[in-house]
Amino acid sequence: MTTTYHPPPLPPPFHHTLTPNLTTTSPIPMELITQGAEAHLYKTTYLSPATPAALKIRPAKPYRHPVLDRRLTRQRVLQEARCLVRLVREGVSVPGVLAVDWDLNSNSNSNSNSNSNENGNGNENSRGEGQGEGNTGSEDNGTEAKAGNGAWILMEWIEGIALKEVFRGWEASLKDNNRDENTAEEQAAAAAEERVKALLRKIGVAVGGLHRAGVVHGDLTTSNLMLRPTPSGQQSGKGEKVEGDGDEGEIVLIDFGLASQSIQDEDRAVDLYVLERAFGSTHPRTERLFGEVLEGYRGSYRGAGSVMKRLEDVRMRGRKRSMLG
Amino acid sequence: MIAIGLESSANKLGVGIILHPDDGSTPQVLANVRHTYVTPPGEGFLPKDTARHHRAWVVKLVKKALRDARVTPRDIDCICFTKGPGMGAPLQSAAITARMLSLLWGKELVGVNHCVGHIEMGRLITGSTNPVVLYVSGGNTQVIAYSSQRYRIFGETLDIAVGNCLDRFARTLHISNDPAPGYNIEQLAKKGKTLVDLPYTVKGMDISMSGILAAIDGLAVQYGLNGPWNDEDETQNTPASDEENARPTRADLCFSLQETVYSMLVEITERAMAHVGSKEVLIVGGVGCNERLQEMMGIMARDRGGTLHATDERFCIDNGIMIAQAGLLAYKAGVPTPLKESTCTQRFRTDDVFVKWRD
Amino acid sequence: MSSSLLDTIHLAHLPPSMAVHVAVYRDVQNAPFLRQQLLSANSEFEYAFIDASVVLSRTHALSAVFRAANDFMNGRLKSRNVHSEIVFSLNPTTNIAESFRKFGITDSTKDLLVIKVSVTPEITHDSVAAHLNQYVEGTPVPFDDETLSKIADVAKIKKAYKLGTLNTAPPNQANGTHDDGMKRLELSVLGAIALRGAT
Repeated sequence: MTTTYHPPPLPPPFHHTLTPNLTTTSPIPMELITQGAEAHLYKTTYLSPATPAALKIRPAKPYRHPVLDRRLTRQRVLQEARCLVRLVREGVSVPGVLAVDWDLNSNSNSNSNSNSNENGNGNENSRGEGQGEGNTGSEDNGTEAKAGNGAWILMEWIEGIALKEVFRGWEASLKDNNRDENTAEEQAAAAAEERVKALLRKIGVAVGGLHRAGVVHGDLTTSNLMLRPTPSGQQSGKGEKVEGDGDEGEIVLIDFGLASQSIQDEDRAVDLYVLERAFGSTHPRTERLFGEVLEGYRGSYRGAGSVMKRLEDVRMRGRKRSMLG
Repeated sequence: MIAIGLESSANKLGVGIILHPDDGSTPQVLANVRHTYVTPPGEGFLPKDTARHHRAWVVKLVKKALRDARVTPRDIDCICFTKGPGMGAPLQSAAITARMLSLLWGKELVGVNHCVGHIEMGRLITGSTNPVVLYVSGGNTQVIAYSSQRYRIFGETLDIAVGNCLDRFARTLHISNDPAPGYNIEQLAKKGKTLVDLPYTVKGMDISMSGILAAIDGLAVQYGLNGPWNDEDETQNTPASDEENARPTRADLCFSLQETVYSMLVEITERAMAHVGSKEVLIVGGVGCNERLQEMMGIMARDRGGTLHATDERFCIDNGIMIAQAGLLAYKAGVPTPLKESTCTQRFRTDDVFVKWRD
Repeated sequence: MSSSLLDTIHLAHLPPSMAVHVAVYRDVQNAPFLRQQLLSANSEFEYAFIDASVVLSRTHALSAVFRAANDFMNGRLKSRNVHSEIVFSLNPTTNIAESFRKFGITDSTKDLLVIKVSVTPEITHDSVAAHLNQYVEGTPVPFDDETLSKIADVAKIKKAYKLGTLNTAPPNQANGTHDDGMKRLELSVLGAIALRGAT
C-alpha cells in the first residue's frame, strides 16, 4: 500500500542545480532536510558555494482546488517573506530573505528545462507586456483562474538545533534518572532544570521581541524555535536582555509560513496559546515549566501585560471547546 | 466478552453490541442499530425535543439490538454509555437507560468518552494501529494523536465545529435535514462549479470557522439564496458562460464551502502528521463520511507516502457500537464506572481520558 | 592590464552556461559617453551600468543579477533585456525609470559597476574584458566587498531603499557591533529586491 515517497521535481531555477555541471568546478549541494506539511525544505547555497541557504519550496497542493491553492500559496509565501523582511529590519533574530518566487508558471517547468537561453526571450515576447519604462503595474499578468505551480523562498541558513530536540533530550534524561537519594545526581538534575527554565525564559523574550515588531508567528512550536550557538560565547542576542543562565546560544525563530502582521492582543495571545499547547502535546514533562516562558514574555515589551490577560480568555475558550458549538 | 453500548449525545440514538472473543481474535459487531431525530428544513434540533425522541425510542432499539445479536441480557458483561461530550438532555437519555439496565440486569457500567469511542471504532474497523485522527462531527473538530496513554489534541476548532458550520449553512439555504444536512450539502456541492472566495483561517494546527459561516451566510443573503426554495430554483442554475456577472448558485456556495473548509481540515491534519512523523491518517465522526473530504485527505496522504483510513456511515456517524467497543476495552483494562459516578457531562475533553488499554 | 580584473562568476542555481562577468572602475572619465550608448540602444553596449556608490556589497549586486536572471529564464522581464533588468532589479519599486535614475549610470558617475551575463555563447570573459578595456576610461579595481565598502554611500543606499530609520550604528549595548548593523542593512536590502513587485 504505502509507496516510497519521491519529492516533486525542483522548480526553476533549481532544476539546473542537480544537472551534471560541466563548466563549474563542483556540483551545488541540494539536500532535502524536511518535508513539512506545506513545504519542502532543502539545504543549498546562495550565489556562491560558501554561503549556505535554506530553500523552502511550496509545491502546489493537488488536494486543494487549483484556484484556492494558487491564492493560498502565493499569499503565504509573500506573507512569510514580508514578515521576515520586516523582522530583519526590526532586528529580530530570524532568517533573512534572499530571493522569492511567489508564482511559478505552470508552464515554466517545461519551458526552461533545457538550459537553452533563448527560451526566456521567446516567452517574454509572447507576453508582450511590461516592456515600456515606468511600468508600475503589478508583476503578474494573468493571475486569474489559472492553476499555479507552487512557489519558493530562499533564506539565510540558520545553524544550530531545534528546541524540540533540546527539550526531548532533557525529558529523556529525566526518564533515566532513578529517584535514589543520590545527591550529586539530584544536584545535576536541579542544575539542568535551571538551565531549561532559563532557556524557556529566553523563548518568552524572543516571542516578545517578535510581537513588539508587529508580527505574530501563527505556528509557534518547539520545532520552529532554533538555538543558534553564539559565535564567541560573549555576544548574546542583538538588543535583547542578556540572561544569566542557559546562555548556550541565541533563539532564532524560523518557519514563518503562517505568520502575519498584527498588533492585536488576541492574535498575540493565540500565538502564546499555540505555543503552550505545543508544549503540552510535544513535551508533556516540560509543560509544567511553561510559566517561565510567560515570565520572559511579560518583561519583554510594553503591552505584554494585556496580552497575558487575553491569554486567559483564549485558554478558557479552548477548554470549553468540547461543548457543542 | 460482550458489551452493549448506548449513544445519545446528539440527534442520533444508537445501540450496539460487540463481542470480543476469548481467544483474542478480531472483535465482532453483533448489532448496530440507530434512529435519528430529523427536523424540518431550516430548523436545527433542540435538546428538549431530541431527548424526547431518544426516550421514546431507546427501549425499542435495545430490544432490536438484542434480537439482532441473538443474545440475552445474561450474555452481556457490561453496559457502556456515552458520558460526554454532547448536549445535556439527550445525553441523559442513554445514561439513565444504562443505569436502569445495570440495576435490572445486574451488570457493571462503563462511561465512555464519545470522541474516544469514535477513535477506537475507527481503529478497529480500519486496522490502523497508530494513526493521526481527524475527528469531525457536528459538535467536534479535532486533530488527535496518541502519546503516553492519552489521545492528545494537536489541533481543533477555535470556535464552531465543522459539522455545525455545515448544518447551520444548510439551515440558511433551507436544505433538507433528511438523512443529514451535511449529506445533502455534499450532493448539492457536486453540481457546483465556481469557487467563491471565503476566509481561510488556520492558526497553527487550529482552525476557525465562524468567519467562513458568516461570510457564506452573507453571500447567500446577498444573492437571495437563503430561505425556502421556489419551484424554479433547482433548474435556474446561472449559465456558466458569463463569468463576469456570474451569480453563484446554491450549488456553488455549497461547493465553495466544502472546498474551503475541507482544505483547512486536510491542512491541519497534514501539519499534525508532519509534526508527529506519522504516515497514517484516520477520519472519524459524521463529517468523515463525506466523500470529497475523504478524496482530498487521500491525495494528501498519498503525496506524503502515507495511507488514509476511513469508515462508512455505519461507523462514522454516531452509533452505539463504538461506545460498546471503547467501553469494553476500558472494562477489560479494569476501569468500570461505579453507579454513583455514572453521570454524564456536556464537557469532556478527549485528552481527559486515561487510555489504560494501550501501551 | 585592466582586463585581468574582470570577475567571471558562476552563480549557484543558474545554468552553467550563464556566466556573469563583473567589473568595477573608479575615477571613470567617460560616463556621459557610456550612458549615451545605453540611451541610443547601441547593442554593442548591452551592459548593466550601475553607479557603484549605491551598491553595498558583492552579495547586493549579485542578488540583483540572480533576480533578473531568474525572471529572464521565466519569461518575466519587465524591461528590455536581462541587463536593463539587473538595474531594475536593484530598485525596491516597480518604476523602471526611477530605477535607472537611482541605480543606473549618470553623467556624473565616477565609480562604475559593470555587469554582463553570458546570454549567448559569443559572450565570454575575453570578449567582455576586451570590449570594456577598449571603451571604459577608468581605473579597474577588484569586485570585492572591501573595495565596494569604500565606494558605497550608505546614507544614499538607505534612502533608496527607504531604510532611513534602520539603525546601522552600534546599539547602545556593548555587545552589538557595526558589522551586525551592516549585515542587517544588507539583508533588508536583499529582502527589498526579492519582494519587488509582490502584490
